[in-house]
Amino acid sequence: MVQHDRKRRFELLALPHLDAAFNLARWLAGNTADAEDVVQEAYLRAFRYFDAFQGGNFRVWLLTIVRNSFFTWAKENRSSRLVFHAEPPSGGAGDTETTAWGTPPRDPEALLMERIDSETLSRLMERLPAEYREVLLLREVEDLAYKEIAEVSGVPVGTVMSRLARARLALRKLWFGEVEAEAGNAV
Amino acid sequence: MQCDRARRLLPQLIDGALGPMRRLFVTRHVAHCGACSAQLEELQSMQTAIRSNLPYHHAPPGLAARIGAMLPREEVPAPSRPWLRVPAFAFAGTGLAGALAGVALTLLVVGGGGSAPDEAVEQSVIGSHIRSMMADHLTDVLTSDQHTVKPWLSARLDVSPSVRELKDQGFPLIGGRLDYVDGHPAAAVVYQHAKHVINLFAWASPGKPDTGFHDESRQGFNVVTWRRGGITYYAVSDVEADQLAAFAKLVG
Repeated sequence: MVQHDRKRRFELLALPHLDAAFNLARWLAGNTADAEDVVQEAYLRAFRYFDAFQGGNFRVWLLTIVRNSFFTWAKENRSSRLVFHAEPPSGGAGDTETTAWGTPPRDPEALLMERIDSETLSRLMERLPAEYREVLLLREVEDLAYKEIAEVSGVPVGTVMSRLARARLALRKLWFGEVEAEAGNAV
Repeated sequence: MQCDRARRLLPQLIDGALGPMRRLFVTRHVAHCGACSAQLEELQSMQTAIRSNLPYHHAPPGLAARIGAMLPREEVPAPSRPWLRVPAFAFAGTGLAGALAGVALTLLVVGGGGSAPDEAVEQSVIGSHIRSMMADHLTDVLTSDQHTVKPWLSARLDVSPSVRELKDQGFPLIGGRLDYVDGHPAAAVVYQHAKHVINLFAWASPGKPDTGFHDESRQGFNVVTWRRGGITYYAVSDVEADQLAAFAKLVG
């Protein structure tokens, strides 16, 4: 009965977040089959360490486990998804994200991303390094605060902020490339 | 310099991470600075794009069930014998109004079974019904509003069972509960009939054909099962068999 209650409590807490867990795993792993493996492993781990959950935000706790399960999985499978082809730091330490943002090369209106279609956005996201995808998802889709993202990713809040800035910059760069290519084709 | 400071704060502005003072500074600055305003607009447009256009990958149907089945199995309901003691317990617990008191009707909806009721599933459903009355866990969401119960359940399961308000027919809706039947999660919709509780269990059976109502009596409980629209339903209760059959027809 005790065991049953534990399992039921776990399911009541964990199953409502299955979509969030799967969406994160799917974006990290890149396909459904691998994402399912990662999520199953994560739920098994979460159940095992359920007693260690100290209260607080269960979704954040669970997403942390999903995220770590993905990285463990990627290492074990030597997945290329783990390779961070991170943006090289543009310039020296004094070169902040804000200056790197710069001014758009074209008519700013044409560069607003609002009108991007899902397919293109997916494709661009897929080209980002895993840690950039992760931080963008946690911020924009899961709507987590910097502090919560720091918890999930296991890095300081300052790192979250600079990583998020770099991720946005990288996505913007890919988007500009897309717009330029389209303009080139149109001519 | 104002621009440098403002631009450093723009991401925090769109992320809702600024305190009131700094937020005031940034918004005031942006109002008068075209370049910073353009950058803010770009940031916001990217945020909007990701939030509204990035595909959301929902968990595939059946993943919840596979996870449930994968979790350590020792929690699975014990064999049938302990249930024999339970009706007496249930009666003693409610103890109010003579023969009617403590009779519970549980309608359990479960997926994936064959056309005839599977004995293991039936055991599981009855066990669940009994536990729901023994423990203080009859409902996770306690409301007579079908418009609350249904979304609550479908948000948590890959199944959206029929939830009806049947008060006028003598079966008021009590609430809903997330349950676990025969190795996978199931919705349990709880109704009442006189002093009796009814649990209606439901789970997804994708691709399986609809069936008629099949009723059975087991361990002092009546069970009615049917399948409709890819969902398997089990109604479990100790109300009279014909009452339960009437209930099933109203729901199904």
